[in-house]
Amino acid sequence: MTIPPHTPKTLTLVFASLWILLLGSALIGFLNLGHYNIVVSVAIAAVQAFFITGFFMKALYERKIILVVVAGGIIWFLIMETLTLADYMSRGWLPFPGK
Amino acid sequence: MTEPTLSGTALLELREHFENPEQQRETASIGMWVFLITEVMMFGALFTGFTVYRLSNPAAFDEGSKEMTIVLGAVNTALLILSSFTMSLGTYFCSIGKTRLLSYFLILTMVIGAVFIGIKFTEYYLHWQDHKVPGFWFEYHGADARAVQMFYVFYFILTGLHVVHMTIGIGILLVMLWRNLLGSFSATYHTPVDLAGVYWSFVDIIWIFLFAIFYIPGLHLR
Repeated sequence: MTIPPHTPKTLTLVFASLWILLLGSALIGFLNLGHYNIVVSVAIAAVQAFFITGFFMKALYERKIILVVVAGGIIWFLIMETLTLADYMSRGWLPFPGK
Repeated sequence: MTEPTLSGTALLELREHFENPEQQRETASIGMWVFLITEVMMFGALFTGFTVYRLSNPAAFDEGSKEMTIVLGAVNTALLILSSFTMSLGTYFCSIGKTRLLSYFLILTMVIGAVFIGIKFTEYYLHWQDHKVPGFWFEYHGADARAVQMFYVFYFILTGLHVVHMTIGIGILLVMLWRNLLGSFSATYHTPVDLAGVYWSFVDIIWIFLFAIFYIPGLHLR
């Protein structure tokens, strides 16, 4: 039997951090940051997602091959997201004859 | 260091096409992560659609977000984080051989998940009463009502899909509890519980992003 690296102490610290980030996200939401409100809230969510993936899902303790699978999936998703949004956001930038 | 000898549940659960439990565990783990990547693609497409419409109608989407009940959303987020924590504790205790504690934490996780779904349906009921369900009944008296309705279309599709995942998650945890009570898991064999925990935490991550895009952006308008 091997002792797993994720001890209850580590998990409790991660859990407390996640609740603090949740509180921070809700409080910052009351500030008027214009278009940046959603940017900040999604950024905080991304930090929370990192903690959950790393510790609760134990990705940080997995073998390299699994980290490659996870990283590959996320990078591929971001490529598709970027290309799709670049297409939508750039529509109308150039004049088309007849439009 | 000598290789650990196979015994008990680890030997019973080792399928013939794997050389050892570690290879079997790694294969199952990769399978679960690849599945989760496909889930990211599915939710990602919906998030992308939301982003496109939000970029076109930022003010209307903020108005839609203003109508959300932040207390219920925040409590639900806190509950889901708590459920991921209890699930992680359960898998930890299983991995050191304390399978009875795994049963307790599985039950606790399922109860928290059920409370989450209960609160979510309470929110749906409130939206129904306020005529905020998209369709003929939808009512919004401010400017740009169609864009606000679009916000609610994304809200119901994404949160509804999330609730479906939560329900499936509770079903998976029920199976894990049943198998644990039958003595299937031990310190040497607990891959299914680990992977059930990975799935559960993934569903938690999805909700955290849903909370960030649906509940927070309209808070400053209150």
